[in-house]
Amino acid sequence: MHSKNPFIVPVVALFIVCAAANPQSAQSSIFYQNDSAQDQKSTTKDSQPASSQQSKQAAADLKPASTDEGQLATVNNAKIPAYAKVYVAPMLGGFENYIIAGLRNKKVPLIVVVDRAKADYEISGVSESEKAGWAKMLFMGSQNSNEQASIKVSDLKTGAVIFGYSVHKANSIRGRQSAGEACAKHIKQIVID
Amino acid sequence: MSRSRGLSMVLVLLVLSAVCVAHADDAKNPPPSSKIPKGAKVFVAPIADGFDTYLRDAIAAKKVPVEIVGNRDLAEFEITGISETQKASTAKKIILGNWHSREEASIQVSNIKSSEVVWSYSVHKEASAHGKKSTAEACAKHLKDEAIEK
Repeated sequence: MHSKNPFIVPVVALFIVCAAANPQSAQSSIFYQNDSAQDQKSTTKDSQPASSQQSKQAAADLKPASTDEGQLATVNNAKIPAYAKVYVAPMLGGFENYIIAGLRNKKVPLIVVVDRAKADYEISGVSESEKAGWAKMLFMGSQNSNEQASIKVSDLKTGAVIFGYSVHKANSIRGRQSAGEACAKHIKQIVID
Repeated sequence: MSRSRGLSMVLVLLVLSAVCVAHADDAKNPPPSSKIPKGAKVFVAPIADGFDTYLRDAIAAKKVPVEIVGNRDLAEFEITGISETQKASTAKKIILGNWHSREEASIQVSNIKSSEVVWSYSVHKEASAHGKKSTAEACAKHLKDEAIEK
């Protein structure tokens, strides 16, 4: 009994210290497992008709946030580590430039790269801008445009979409800049600083 | 007894090495340096509606301490972006009494070697007195103030 103690105690200490020293990687590995499980679910969905329970489960994973600007959804409370490399894919009308500027303006701790191969995550989406017409100017006295955009953040390693957000601004004072900054502000919420 | 003590020492060393590896992982993603050195060679990529021409002129006008090169291979940094102009419509002129154009632009400066975006900026002018020139000068002014090493 006494001779076994020197083996057991250091082994237990090794596990405890490893788990305590690197909780993030443990957390992210759990998350990737969930993602892979989701991917497996999606592949089975392709082969088989989707059941109502699976769709309910997927709906339960999407958690809306309390925001008056737009719709925000995070899957399984996913997070992006600070200073992760992010690639912003080209969007219609060059909206990716406004998102990048928004990320800097809102001080989001991410490294934006222009080479997709060097990135860990990808931001993609669509945007639409509608300029004020004569009727809006005449009746409302407003020359501000209507802006709407929707983005998603996906993990390039697993291919899983971890975050989605959409914004609609009826009278955007600063046009696409406002929409880009709104997207950046909400991306910041899922970045672990 | 001495053998078990030796084994426990080996395990303790393993624990220490695991801690070291964990700390190395934490330091893997350091914050990027977001400054452009003075005199850096910068290439301005073609931008829609010839905004790159306005930007080059504005960089010179605002005396931004960078060297503009015409060949991307010679450059350390690249400026890319997007610009949009909307001329004042008849409705805007008659109803709002405003002849000025609506200007929007967004630029980003990326390090060509590392592919990292080191600085970005977007500007929106609802009634731009000097059209594209105003937005280009706003970009150049902020580039000088915020992105260049002092």
